[in-house]
Amino acid sequence: MLRSLTPGRSPTPALILGLIITLAAVVAYSWYITLQISGLRALQNDLAGRNRKDSLQLLRIQNDLNSLALGMRDMLDNDEPYPLTAWSAQFQRIRADLDDALRLEEQVSVTHRTPEQRQFLGTSLAQFWDAVDRMFAFAQAGKADEARAQIRLTLQARQAALSTAVARLLVQNNESEEQAAQRIGEIYDRVQRQVYVFLVAILTAILLTSLYLIRSNRQLFARLAALSEQRSELAQKLISTQESTLRYISRELHDEFGQILTAIGSMLSRAGNHAPEGSPLRSELREVCEIAQSTLDNVRTLSQALHPVMLDESGLESTLDWYIPTVERQTGVSISYEKSGTPFPVDGSAGIHIYRVVQEALNNVTRHSGAREAWVRLRFLTDVLEIEVEDHGSGFANPQSKPGIGLVAMRERAELLGGTMEFSQPSSGGTLVRLVIPKERAESSAG
Amino acid sequence: MNRRSFLWGLAGLVSISGSRLEETWAAAAAQSSSPGFRLVDVTQKAGIQFQHNSGAYGGKLLPETLGSGCAFLDYDNDGWQDILLINGMDWPGHKRQHSTLRLYRNNRNGTFSDVTRQAGLDLEMYGMGVAVGDYNNDGYPDILISCVGQNRLFKNTGKGTFIDVTRASGLAGRQAFSTSALWFDFDRDGLLDLFVCNYVKWSPDHDVFCSLDGKHKSYCTPEAYRGETCWLFHNRGNGRFEDVTASSGIFDSSSKSLGVALLDKDGWPDLVVANDTQPNKLYRNLHNGTFKDVAMEAGIAFSAEGKARAGMGIDTADFDNSGVSGVAITNFDNEMIGLYRPGSNGSYEDIATRAGMGFPSRNTLGFGCVFFDPDLDGTQDLMVANGHIDETVRNIRGNVGYAQPPQLFLNNGNGTFRDVASELGDDFRQPKVGRGLAYADFDRDGDLDVLMTTNNGPAFLYRNDQLSGNHSIRFRLVGTKSNRDAIGAVVRIFHEGSSQPRVVKGGSSYLSQSELPVTFGVGKRDKIDRVVIQWPTGRTEEFKNLQAGRAYDCVESKGINPLSSF
Repeated sequence: MLRSLTPGRSPTPALILGLIITLAAVVAYSWYITLQISGLRALQNDLAGRNRKDSLQLLRIQNDLNSLALGMRDMLDNDEPYPLTAWSAQFQRIRADLDDALRLEEQVSVTHRTPEQRQFLGTSLAQFWDAVDRMFAFAQAGKADEARAQIRLTLQARQAALSTAVARLLVQNNESEEQAAQRIGEIYDRVQRQVYVFLVAILTAILLTSLYLIRSNRQLFARLAALSEQRSELAQKLISTQESTLRYISRELHDEFGQILTAIGSMLSRAGNHAPEGSPLRSELREVCEIAQSTLDNVRTLSQALHPVMLDESGLESTLDWYIPTVERQTGVSISYEKSGTPFPVDGSAGIHIYRVVQEALNNVTRHSGAREAWVRLRFLTDVLEIEVEDHGSGFANPQSKPGIGLVAMRERAELLGGTMEFSQPSSGGTLVRLVIPKERAESSAG
Repeated sequence: MNRRSFLWGLAGLVSISGSRLEETWAAAAAQSSSPGFRLVDVTQKAGIQFQHNSGAYGGKLLPETLGSGCAFLDYDNDGWQDILLINGMDWPGHKRQHSTLRLYRNNRNGTFSDVTRQAGLDLEMYGMGVAVGDYNNDGYPDILISCVGQNRLFKNTGKGTFIDVTRASGLAGRQAFSTSALWFDFDRDGLLDLFVCNYVKWSPDHDVFCSLDGKHKSYCTPEAYRGETCWLFHNRGNGRFEDVTASSGIFDSSSKSLGVALLDKDGWPDLVVANDTQPNKLYRNLHNGTFKDVAMEAGIAFSAEGKARAGMGIDTADFDNSGVSGVAITNFDNEMIGLYRPGSNGSYEDIATRAGMGFPSRNTLGFGCVFFDPDLDGTQDLMVANGHIDETVRNIRGNVGYAQPPQLFLNNGNGTFRDVASELGDDFRQPKVGRGLAYADFDRDGDLDVLMTTNNGPAFLYRNDQLSGNHSIRFRLVGTKSNRDAIGAVVRIFHEGSSQPRVVKGGSSYLSQSELPVTFGVGKRDKIDRVVIQWPTGRTEEFKNLQAGRAYDCVESKGINPLSSF
């Protein structure tokens, strides 16, 4: 029975949609990551980098202030064989370095400072250098005690205040760096979260796509199986229809036309007997009678060819016993026919299919193989009936032979009988056709 | 990709990276060539048997790690370079041996004789460095030994002996931890003045207890001590020196100086000083007897990151034949060598990394360093003596050893250098605790040999064996109006459109001094077009068409005298 099949939807649009969604997700995620990295870079360059440079400059300032403190201590210690003015160049060098460091620090500073803070640093430094100038003026004037007093009472205190102010800026920078580090950490956390989300989304997309593909494949295979079944049913219907039609024609030819021709022959024979001996009429009647007999023979042969009546009347074995020598005679191919096993009766419906397979196989031998010898083996085995047709001709490799409908029909007939059809190449070359049918199907009607 | 697009892509790639490929190929070609010479250890063969005594007894006293220096000098004025090796001594209360500096006379046959005792130098002192110079212009080199304690000045009598004139010269009564020193004529009066580096204010009585593990004493870093100013002594010409440290602007009580070198820019000698953990100094000569420290403006004071590094040794040279001298400063491990190239605006740029010297020197602690031309190819290379100060450094920094191989950065002639020490022979590349480093042509074969000292170890004499067939030309300068050693003179040779300068230098390297004659490598050339000598007093002389492969004696205002050989 033919099952109605609705054409399934193609999975391609859904797959393309999935691909587009996946690519869009990747692009969106890449854009997001790029954005985050840009932010990170900006943060590191603009804040952390500048902060680091600023801290370096502040450390340089701190170092200069320490150098000043050490210099002043050396001046107070009075253990060098040099006048206090000897330190002047050292102080000038430090002043130049300090000015440079302050200028650079101002450029790279990222910490927001109040105008008061800036003013305090600038004013304190100016006051410090004023005091230094006064101190060296005393030293220049030979007033070493006054100069040292200036160091003790003013310069050291101012240096300490400056050092504290710079230390405070360093602390601010440190706090700023910590904030930057926290923000960087937040960005990393965000990116990490997004990585997880992206991974989950991608995995979900892959999972859904896979499930969809599996479902589509299953539907495709089911449709394929149904179509195959339909085709097989159709082929078997065709074969059955063909066989019944041929059987009908064969019987009609054998019964109707055979009877008629037999009657015509009898009547002509009788009419000829009534004609005078040696007359032309008698000879013409005999000639027509012979033509009728010849036609009758041809009709019977055709009837046999279309559907051997013998098959229904005497069974497969006898039909093959008759058919194989007939083929041998008609084609000149030497056929070795072997039978083995204990014969069991083969149903007529099954027999016609087996007969047709043998007929097609021998047709192939005579038409395509070029072999002058063939072997037919009929084996009645315990559970199966096995028939082999073998030749040592050109086999399937023959480039001139085209795969015809015959082989398909042979396979369909085998399936109709619940058996198997094998086409193989013997070691000596050629073709071996093997039909194997379960015994119970051979004995019963195949339908 | 089809074949056409592939080929177009390839062509594009080639055109884009063409110039870079050329550079790469040039560098690869340079690197594939052999150094062209070997350094053979001839210490034993030459009869040098010296063992430095740092005095280390377990007290981990700061000076033990730093000594000591060496010098090539021609003390007997016979034209053959002799060797002076500075030594320390046992600390008071821990006396075990008698150790003195060693003077080795060149026997003119590749061997040396120990003449310390005959020369009157068999004296114990905790010596650190040496500066050789004829301060009294009598034709014989005198010796300043920088010490922990009192520095010593030995006057050469000209009869193979020296006499201690420390007190007579006015240098006595100054206790310090002195390191490198150099003779130079800063006021161009024809008399050599003396510059002495001091490290920190230290004495055994005020040694600070430092510890890495909290239990055992270890060597302190210089931060533990106060700095000490360098000294400048003006030669008064009567055998006495005047301390002009303060009046000349040299004074800086924060200095922790280890190396000093001459730097000439305008005919008036400047000084560059390598400082440990303090900014390096560039004392610009103001032509009036004073100096101004311009290191910061010049970009030499700090590393490129603005950090004061632990400078040790120093040398100057026009290593790219640009006409202006650059500076090399060796630093602590984890601080690469500073290679400062002069820019157009008078400032310097540290190009060590770009020049291929930075990365190879990151894990070494460099001390002595000298610019010279051992392969005689006409470009100056840089040799560095390496060695750590801490025997246990390997426990702390696995990739840094106490003994370290020396390095020779060969000049590729294209602004880059490559370390070829491992190609100079097994003798040379052995790890050592290197300190002092000096060069001279002691065997008078025209190439420059190397003398290296190690801390608490032997000294090494390496003979340069040329393999490439390159030629050289040498000049020994004698000043008449200028100081007799012609220290500060600039000798410039010209050949086939190119030129090379050399400065007659005192000091440089680390605690050491190389020979005073200058050597030029001229490759395969047989002669040079001309030589121009700018004497320290400013006078310029020129001589043309000189044959290479020999030495020349040049006496100021009296012409040039070729020798039959080197």
